[in-house]
Amino acid sequence: MISSAQAKCPFIDHTRSRCIALSAMLLMWAAGPAILSAQSVCLPLPRLLTMMPMGGSVGSQVEIAITGEHLDEVKELLFNHPGIVAKAKQNDAGQIEPNKFLVQISADCPTGLYEARVLSRLGISSSRIFSVDTLLELKQTAPNTSLSTAMEIQVNSVTNSVMTARSIDFYRFMAQKGHRYVVECSSRGIDSKLDPVVIIADSQGRDLAVERRGDLLDFTASQDGPHLIKVHELTFKGGPAYFYRLHFQELAADSVLPRFASTRSVSAFSWPPTGLPAKAISAELEPNGVSVPQQIALPCDLSGSFYPAADVDVFEFSARKGETWWVEVASERLGRPTDPAILVQHVTGEPGKEQLVDVVELLDIPSPVKPSSNGYAYDGPAYDGGSPDILGKITLPQDGVYRLQLTDLFGGTRKDLRNEYRMIIRKAAPDFALAAWSLHMELRNGDRNALSKPLALRAGATVALEVVAVRRDGFDGDIQLQLNGLPNGVSAQGLKIPAGKSRGIMLVTAQYDAPVALANLDFVGSATIDNQLVSRQVQMADFAWPIPDSWGEIPAPRLVSGLPLSVTNHEPAPMSIAAQDRKVIEATAGSKVTIPLVLTKRMDFSGSTLQMKAFGDGMERLPPFNISLDAANSEAVIDLASLQLTPGEYSFAFYTGAVAKYRIKPDAPSQDTVEIVITEPISIRVKPMEPK
Amino acid sequence: MSNPFSLQYGSAPKGDSCQGILGHALVALAFCIGISCFYGRLPANEPKSPSVSVSFVNDVMPVLTKAGCNSGVCHAKAVNGQNGFRLSLLGFEPQDDYVHLLKEGRGRRLSMASPASSLILSKASGQVPHRGGVRLSKESTEYATLLGWIRDGAKYDGPTATKLLSIQVQPDRGTLPPKSQQQLTAIAVYADGTQRDVTKLALFESNEKSMAEVSEHGLVQAMELPGRVSIMVRYQGLVSVYSASIPLGAMVDSIPASKGFIDDALFSNLKELGIPPSPICDDATFVRRVTLDVAGRLPTTQELDSVVGSTDPNKRDTFVAKLLQSSEYADFFANKWTAMLKNRRDDASDITSNFAFYSWVRDSLLQNKPYDQMVRELLAATGTVQSNPPVAWYKRVKEQKQQLEDVAQLFLGVRMQCAQCHHHPFEKWSQDDYYSFAAFFSQVGRKPTSTRGEDMIFHKRGIATAANIKTGTVLKPAALGTSIDSITADQDPRLHLANWMSDPKNPFFAKAVVNRYWKHFFRRGLIDPEDDIRDTNPPSNPELLAGLEKHFIASGFDLKELVRVIVTSNAYQLSSVPNQSNSADQQNYSRYYHKRLQAEVLLDSIDDVTGARTDFQNLPTGTRAVALPDNSYNNATPFLKVFGRPENESVCECERTQSSSLAQSLHLMNAGDVKAKLATAGGRADLMSKSQKPMEERVTELYRIAFGRSPSAAELSGAVDYLTEPSSADASGVSVGQPASPERFQDLIWALINTKEFLFNH
Repeated sequence: MISSAQAKCPFIDHTRSRCIALSAMLLMWAAGPAILSAQSVCLPLPRLLTMMPMGGSVGSQVEIAITGEHLDEVKELLFNHPGIVAKAKQNDAGQIEPNKFLVQISADCPTGLYEARVLSRLGISSSRIFSVDTLLELKQTAPNTSLSTAMEIQVNSVTNSVMTARSIDFYRFMAQKGHRYVVECSSRGIDSKLDPVVIIADSQGRDLAVERRGDLLDFTASQDGPHLIKVHELTFKGGPAYFYRLHFQELAADSVLPRFASTRSVSAFSWPPTGLPAKAISAELEPNGVSVPQQIALPCDLSGSFYPAADVDVFEFSARKGETWWVEVASERLGRPTDPAILVQHVTGEPGKEQLVDVVELLDIPSPVKPSSNGYAYDGPAYDGGSPDILGKITLPQDGVYRLQLTDLFGGTRKDLRNEYRMIIRKAAPDFALAAWSLHMELRNGDRNALSKPLALRAGATVALEVVAVRRDGFDGDIQLQLNGLPNGVSAQGLKIPAGKSRGIMLVTAQYDAPVALANLDFVGSATIDNQLVSRQVQMADFAWPIPDSWGEIPAPRLVSGLPLSVTNHEPAPMSIAAQDRKVIEATAGSKVTIPLVLTKRMDFSGSTLQMKAFGDGMERLPPFNISLDAANSEAVIDLASLQLTPGEYSFAFYTGAVAKYRIKPDAPSQDTVEIVITEPISIRVKPMEPK
Repeated sequence: MSNPFSLQYGSAPKGDSCQGILGHALVALAFCIGISCFYGRLPANEPKSPSVSVSFVNDVMPVLTKAGCNSGVCHAKAVNGQNGFRLSLLGFEPQDDYVHLLKEGRGRRLSMASPASSLILSKASGQVPHRGGVRLSKESTEYATLLGWIRDGAKYDGPTATKLLSIQVQPDRGTLPPKSQQQLTAIAVYADGTQRDVTKLALFESNEKSMAEVSEHGLVQAMELPGRVSIMVRYQGLVSVYSASIPLGAMVDSIPASKGFIDDALFSNLKELGIPPSPICDDATFVRRVTLDVAGRLPTTQELDSVVGSTDPNKRDTFVAKLLQSSEYADFFANKWTAMLKNRRDDASDITSNFAFYSWVRDSLLQNKPYDQMVRELLAATGTVQSNPPVAWYKRVKEQKQQLEDVAQLFLGVRMQCAQCHHHPFEKWSQDDYYSFAAFFSQVGRKPTSTRGEDMIFHKRGIATAANIKTGTVLKPAALGTSIDSITADQDPRLHLANWMSDPKNPFFAKAVVNRYWKHFFRRGLIDPEDDIRDTNPPSNPELLAGLEKHFIASGFDLKELVRVIVTSNAYQLSSVPNQSNSADQQNYSRYYHKRLQAEVLLDSIDDVTGARTDFQNLPTGTRAVALPDNSYNNATPFLKVFGRPENESVCECERTQSSSLAQSLHLMNAGDVKAKLATAGGRADLMSKSQKPMEERVTELYRIAFGRSPSAAELSGAVDYLTEPSSADASGVSVGQPASPERFQDLIWALINTKEFLFNH
């Protein structure tokens, strides 16, 4: 065996120079936590995990079986479109069959992807995608993991299936020579964990064409007769989470490949800009490369494609000194695996002897908050709101002609006409886009959790949503956050996204005596731009699956539609912390403020103290402080001077992690469960110091 | 047969050891070489200094090299040389060496006041203790050269010394009858038109010592093995080659018909060398051989019947075409390529990228993606592993120098590693060449992904350059001495490298892969080792290599066509059984050189014969070992380790162990996993014991599965007798089971899989 380290030059004796390397990994491993506890991360929340089938045809009724996590006493299956309605299935005796529903899809329901949730004892669940299609719906009803048990399918159908671990699913169809067939396996785009491999094979199972990147398989039969479609997971994983919908269609030879609906990545929340027409005004005209730039006039809105491989699209325009233009390119946010890059150059010299001087290079849209770096300790959410797309500014240094060169940094060898882009060059139109997700934070033995978290509140609980903003075209002001449509007994307070910042918090509190409720909330952020109050919808994001330890499984976050909130009184929040007096606290600049806190425990906890930190309105700078877990009353002291808080009103909250002795049922053994605990929002009004 | 020119990991070639060169200086006493014109007749014990000034570059440096002072194990040892005295390897850096000699060691290495007392002389001649022993006799002309140079003021004449243009060897080729000798003469040609006979100062080395040896003075001694041998002559960083053919001289009166350029070139060479080829093998042998070589598995009995029983004159070609259409072909060759492309599991999270990368290679082979396109997609990969799996190569091969070295060795057959630190000792590659090549990879940008250790790869805008770490010179990309058109900051230099590689005129790219594939089928490359292509390691059959290269390029870099043209040739279909004359032939392919089945193929073959299936963690039941995506299965399957499956750590195919060992024999005979396969419920032995077929049929079937042929009459009767004889006990008293019991069949299968006929492709 030869290791690269051993592959030394044979002409030189390395004995003297050889050094003994210590394995950093080994040391890190040795220094890691010596004891891995059986601790759970976060209190149970209802999660809808699978539906079978995962979709239905327009105008049909489909029977659906669901499974999930903490789905006790499921009452309803809900969809985010009025054209999809579910009712519990009853058996012949009129009794409700648990976790089975009859779903009616109205004839006018548009095709596409919808969010399904259930309402259970613990409240509203996380979402699962439900597809509405026009194709014939089929369902895998028996194992089809061998050639002899291949499932017969018809063209223009979609089959709902679940992958078995270490297996290959076989489907058989009759092909006609010269006919074109398209196979698409929807999986990641409908919340499945499956990374699909789709193979078309001859009747004996011999591979003819393979697609392993989750893309379409476009196949023209070379002979009549039975053919097979084989599907498996890239690494042969399987199980209930590995479901898929296998679209099998026949297409005319000259037809454009269909594009199947898919959930959107978190990065897509910043697209499109408000008011952008669905179609671009113009299009790129090939050849528009370095030697023949395409002439454009600013502003512009054009669409194009990174095609063929190593495509370089060059646009030429005239501009005046000092002009500032904003450039936005979407491609990755359109769902394409691209990485656009722009270079703007000033053209000087005679025609044919032009010289190009770099003006600016525009690359990625940075994430509004630092995302997780996959380390051991929590260092940011596993949500990345940034994008390889472009959003930047060009300030032109002098009158003249400029060239804008647009390339795909991932496109050197790939030829795919579908790698489209849209480029907008505009005068500044300050704006912002917002996204939010449930707060994750540093937790003892739970740093690497990435859990899907529906807004299912226990009575007395305060939960936090982390809100991020992508600011557009120089907008730099405060963004206020607001939740509308709250049910009785529930309050919400946004900790604004301060000017120049990109992160805020929304706190939602269910009073201990809040009635059981379900409501669809409207989450908006608002700001004053050019003396106009502008409101923008906050798009929610969530993980497709609850991942307790992202070391072993990569989380799959996506944007979700809607924000339902439920309140349950079946079990209370284990702990509530609030300021003793919920009024706004008055304080003088430069003083120290003592805030009495009241801690209400409703179950046992490990440890004796809680280390509290703060967020909101600059309070992140507050040094951590401890409060007793055993005392109902404690206090926080805030040194306004050290925080340099100027006169004004400040809203914030304290937060911590605590390990509850949680019992899923009163008679069940307790389970150490680390949970985020957040105080109800606290407000301080800082007054100017009185002159001496 | 190892090639002494090759880079053998972990040990220096013997020819470069101080000991190996010890005698060089001692025998030089009465010897006049190029510089001898400067000397008069010298007294035996006190050489005089030359009357004409001695050149440091052209006179002193060759003396140090010939004496072995600047070899890798002596004063050219890495970092500090030997005991603080450092010289450049083989004298490639005269200016540095001058500084080391004159100014380091507190200046005591040279004594201008008393030149004969200079440490360099007293150490080298053994007058004071020298761990390297006596390198120069005090009476030698070399000693006199050094002394004269010091007496002359020890001047450095680097800028003014007459430039050495080339080294010539005379004769440069010839035919050497077995056991004959040939004296070589090394001539140095200088820029001023002068020439010197530098035979005594040149270094000579044979590329195949079993065929010819060469003395330190250039006397070649041919051995008895027929074939082509080369003697490398090195002098002052330049090399030249003497090529000789050693004919066997036997009568070649029967040559198979030629089916094309391969047969033309190969049989012509055999005729020239007088090596009669073995006859064409029979159909059954061919089917087994080609199925193992192309699809990495044993043929089925149906496949055997389709050829053996056919009267179609094109039946073999038709069979090859079917094999090339099979997914097993793609599986087998993907297994070969992904090992060299280092598809290695270091962390559990590697699984997705490893499967994706393996699959990309496998699917590319299945669809017969042109080789140049495949390499282009790998070299210039960008994006994420999920969307563009060849990006995974940049996960495994992260460092710039590793990238250039792997690309050069794998795709161009050139080993550049030496040139990282010093001028390549056998080749023209300098450090500038090394870093110019590295510059192609200087703009590989990385962005982290959500998978730890895995990056997105993109072209980082900027002018591609790399600095020569020795000189600090900033170099632009150049491909093995070929300058590349200006690459702008926006252009990915790797695409330019791919363009250069796939140019039909590229002297390395096609040659490297056709030679690699030739070795796959014939056990030995036309250039061997297959990834050490250089002027000083010439092909054993240049016409054949050129023909393969031309055919491959003309086919559009079609790998399946390359395989097809090789295995449909009669050259490939020669019997492995030697005739009276060609048993000694090791490099002219006068017969098929048998090969031990590689680990995965052997394991699959045992499964096929026993009817068992090896279970690989998390893979579908029935997954064959040749289709394993990475090395992670080696630990759980000791069979693979014992039989040398690589850990995918090296770009060299030599990481795979193909040699035989005692451990392998013991494993086959006694290991629990093999025994378990034999005894598998529902396995071959079990089913055959229950079969109602005549015993002869059952035995014949077994032989056909294992060996691809029916048993001989003796084999058949022996096997049937054993299977049907009454109950008995073996030598240790253990019952060998009832007649026709599963145990009897297990014994028979055990015996079959322990035969060389089964273990080898032949």
